[in-house]
Amino acid sequence: MYQALLTRKYLTSKIMPLLAMVAVMLSVATVLVTWSIMGGFLKVLLESGRPMVGDAVIHWPIAGFAHYDDLIERLEANDRIEAAAPMTESLGLVRLPTGQIRVVTIKGVEPDAFRRVTGFEDTIWWRPLNTPTRKDHDRDDPRLGDHPSMQFYYDNALTMTRPDPTTGDSDPAAIIGIELSGLLERTAAGIYVPQTTLRARPDGEIAVESIFMPRNGEIGLTLLALDHEGIPIDSISRRLPVANEFQSGVYEVDSGTVLVPLDWLQRQLRMDEAVKVNTKGDDIFGNYEQGPDGVLRPKPLEATGVAPARVTTVLVRGVDDATPDEIKKIIEEEVYPGFAQAHEGVPHELDILVLTWADQNATLIASVRKETGLVLFIFGIVCFTTVFLVLAIFWSMISEKTKDIGILRALGATTAGVAWLWLRYSGAIGVVGSALGLVAGYLIVTNINAIHEWLGETFGLVVWDARVYYFVEIPREMEWHKALIVGIAGVVTCLFGAALPAWRAARMRPVQALRFE
Amino acid sequence: MNMPEHAPQTDPGPLLSVRNVRKTYKLGRVSVPVLYGVDLDVARGEWVAILGASGSGKSTLLHLCGGLDRPDKAKGDTPRAHITFDGRDLTSLPGSQLDRFRSRDVGFVFQFYHLLPELTVLENVTVGAMVRTGRIGWHRERGAATARAKELLEAFGLGHRLRHRSAELSGGERQRVAIARALINEPTLLLADEPTGNLDRETGGAILDVLADLRERHGLTVLMVTHDAAVAERADRVISIVDGEIGAPSAPTLTGG
Ligand SMILES: Nc1ncnc2c1ncn2[C@@H]1O[C@H](COP(=O)(O)OP(=O)(O)O)[C@@H](O)[C@H]1O
Ligand SMILES: [Mg+2]
Repeated sequence: MYQALLTRKYLTSKIMPLLAMVAVMLSVATVLVTWSIMGGFLKVLLESGRPMVGDAVIHWPIAGFAHYDDLIERLEANDRIEAAAPMTESLGLVRLPTGQIRVVTIKGVEPDAFRRVTGFEDTIWWRPLNTPTRKDHDRDDPRLGDHPSMQFYYDNALTMTRPDPTTGDSDPAAIIGIELSGLLERTAAGIYVPQTTLRARPDGEIAVESIFMPRNGEIGLTLLALDHEGIPIDSISRRLPVANEFQSGVYEVDSGTVLVPLDWLQRQLRMDEAVKVNTKGDDIFGNYEQGPDGVLRPKPLEATGVAPARVTTVLVRGVDDATPDEIKKIIEEEVYPGFAQAHEGVPHELDILVLTWADQNATLIASVRKETGLVLFIFGIVCFTTVFLVLAIFWSMISEKTKDIGILRALGATTAGVAWLWLRYSGAIGVVGSALGLVAGYLIVTNINAIHEWLGETFGLVVWDARVYYFVEIPREMEWHKALIVGIAGVVTCLFGAALPAWRAARMRPVQALRFE
Repeated sequence: MNMPEHAPQTDPGPLLSVRNVRKTYKLGRVSVPVLYGVDLDVARGEWVAILGASGSGKSTLLHLCGGLDRPDKAKGDTPRAHITFDGRDLTSLPGSQLDRFRSRDVGFVFQFYHLLPELTVLENVTVGAMVRTGRIGWHRERGAATARAKELLEAFGLGHRLRHRSAELSGGERQRVAIARALINEPTLLLADEPTGNLDRETGGAILDVLADLRERHGLTVLMVTHDAAVAERADRVISIVDGEIGAPSAPTLTGG
């Protein structure tokens, strides 16, 4: 009982325990903030997949596979699968209105099917907006207000077309990542404002252009068409109007992806339906026949069937409570084998690639995991200093109080009783310090973007660069189990720091302790 | 509890018996022998004063009697030391029982008071009871212990200073708080190390009056250390300690009371 009394008295009459508390608080807050942000980063990274590609993709790169309509039908028949959509993916070059050329991923999609599988609809940027975004206090967002064009752009995005202003025909159109064009400026409020651009013309003049992609922007795409065996046949360059822009929040995607209508891309890549002809049985010089007019001419090729259209990818979305791995398993074990058996010329069930978002980004995710571990390790070492700080503080405090220990021992206090006094005391410091640290950490994590912005404005310090960290905002989520672990670690640190001096003091003979200077 | 009854008629032997006690301090490599084989008996209810020059080992002996330290172990031809309290040999008690002995059977008054600076006067006294009862016992005995502490402090003229810190007290007042603390658990034996050593004659005399009164009314056995012959005179019996041994009863044995 004297332990409680003395703990209280020591805590309230000395400056030392306050210092120890602050040390614990700072360490706890540091580790928690680091862990939360890095962990949040990983979590956002993992979660950003579903809105972009659904739960899993069935992938046969380059050549693609046929009969995908049947595969989609079979997939959608499964009651754990919500929807599936075809997609053709290809690398290509894009020529931007600014004259820049970039390597991009070109994805051919059917807008309606694509919407059902992914969160595509929500990523379309140019649309009518009634309320400003969270940080847009000045209502600078050009999407605000009743501009009828926003609805027009949005409708264009949903059909992936843009009417030709002269003919009025609906032309196939692309939707590009919002960071791609280089014609928009991202403000601190997180919105995009169109910029006028200056362009050097070949004749030496400087042209001032105001290009707004969904209105009058065009891109040039250069693609490589491959035959069904993956052999390049042709390189094609095409101009395509832009219907709208999208923002997924993943910087790499937003700066390097172009969505185009699937049938358009299939046509360019020669992956559309084609007539098959028989070239077998030809003699080495070719088959010729004599026409009714007596002229020898090549024999017309005999059409033997139709080569069906191909896609490289089918996107699959599970029902809401299904995990990506479950969907992957269903595809691999229940759906695809039946499909492979039913059709000739589609990849074998053992060859086909079924990938979740995590599989597709395994390298990135693994490196983020490693990075998180590394950063935590470094901060852990830094916090190890706290253990020594606490040790030093307790050592000096307990030394100072050794005479008290002698007195208590002379009054009959046991070794264990005295050791408990100090453990209790250090535990109290640990609990209070950790609790304050958790509160501080929580406040920092939940306000991290504001703090980061403030640092940038005040000191020009930008730690979080979207180009490096993939996401435009710093993840600001705190997980309670992490807080719990960090808090407990803070308390244990204190107990650890006090254990040695407490043990040393408690096992002194009372006389030794009383004479201790 | 084997509380000895204070009945000199049916003498069950001395309350405290010290035999062949040697104590050597080790300062690094150097051994400093302080006690060379002390024999001493203290009867129940007796007030014994140990007189000796400064540095002669009086405090050392008192610490050994109070279980705050252990005598040297038997070595070679030196006989084994025994300190027997009420039939129990302290030198062979395990640590936990020694703790118990210190808290229940003996009260110790230090030469330099040794109060806990963060605690108030009242808390300095009740802390002895807290140590004895432990956490659960304290809830039960808190009221009684606090009442007893107040009673003791009032009897020592400190009733109006209960909430003061020891730093705010004079030497005489501190010593009285220390005595109150030593008595809070109603010990059988009071060990007082120069209780008047740092006090002026008048204040010291008052402290001795308190001790005399306690012995009178409660039959407390007192073993007191002093270097002042005048102080020693208040005791029933005076032993002097010279060169680490108990000398011949140099001072006349006085019968007290
Ligand atoms: N813990 C100790 N360590 C080393 N030397 C000690 C210790 N305690 C006492 N001494 C020495 O033993 C001698 C006797 O001390 P003490 O018993 O305090 O004498 P007294 O109380 O008679 O003045 C002194 O020389 C003192 O310095
Ligand atoms: Mg002394």
